[in-house]
Amino acid sequence: MITISDKTRVQLSAALVATGMILYIPSNVMPVMKMSIVGKVENLTVLGGVHELYDSGLPFIAAVVFFASFLVPLLKLLSLAWILSMHGKMKYQRQRSDLHRIVHKIGSWSMIDIFLLAVLAAVGQLGALAGVNAEPGAILFAIVLVCCIFATEVYKPRLIWEECH
Amino acid sequence: MTAHENKTLQPSMALSISGLFILILANINPVLNFEVVGRLQAGYVITGVTELWHQGYGSLSFLVLFSGIVAPTLYLAAICYVSTACVLRLRLPKVETVFELIEKIEPWNLIPVYSIATVVAVVKLKMLGTVEWQPGARWILATAVLSLFCQQTFDRKLVIRRLRSLGVWTGATRE
Repeated sequence: MITISDKTRVQLSAALVATGMILYIPSNVMPVMKMSIVGKVENLTVLGGVHELYDSGLPFIAAVVFFASFLVPLLKLLSLAWILSMHGKMKYQRQRSDLHRIVHKIGSWSMIDIFLLAVLAAVGQLGALAGVNAEPGAILFAIVLVCCIFATEVYKPRLIWEECH
Repeated sequence: MTAHENKTLQPSMALSISGLFILILANINPVLNFEVVGRLQAGYVITGVTELWHQGYGSLSFLVLFSGIVAPTLYLAAICYVSTACVLRLRLPKVETVFELIEKIEPWNLIPVYSIATVVAVVKLKMLGTVEWQPGARWILATAVLSLFCQQTFDRKLVIRRLRSLGVWTGATRE
């Protein structure tokens, strides 16, 4: 077992949150997949996919994807940033610990987009008729969510209750 | 006897065993069929992994393999191992290490997210061609529900008490 000191845990978690925040913007601007159906090529960003679902009269599904892939990572990053910025302070410890538990529970619902890509790529290999290809944006997207998960795991909830020396 | 002590880990044991069986079914059955202009393709969970790999996105392929297949399997197997030890009062080897693994692996068990993603995928594919649900989808949903129930019924504090009474808890992990 590797033992990491508490100080390193805080720094590591902060670094992961910072990485996530920096990559959050390009991950939402760059296309995550390229769909070509019967000659029609389309680059899809995460929000583009949401918009498309909404336009096809599926506001509920669109809302789920919007929440899971756009809002959850942002809220997770902001929550962790707040928890980390308050590290060592004696205020709002109960709230921080509750928030940390929620963030841990949510896990990574943003994986929905990566899985969606995997499912689409699995059946979208019909040559010129239908093709689904991953685009670099998907990697950034994946890095953001992996950063989120690790940042939450590295910063143990017990650290919230410890005073900083 | 207090109401506290009436709690049992039997549900976790039962749910995790069924979960493991259903996980196999989810992986050997196609999830959906997609048809465009007469050409049909069946999609399995693993097809997505291999396809992303072929497209040169090894990291994504690994992520899907890990969080969609490996982590759920490990998670259910670990819960099964620990709850079996508690319920049958067996002094299984390394039970404390496995118990720690459960907590580590839990955020990576993303099979419930996978089941939602398949629904979204079907919705998207419907706009483009003919798409048909296959048995695998039902099993994925079942695995997702079972692993969520497992998460709810698996009482960590109870496990620690049981392992302590068995004398296999060293308390190396921070509670």
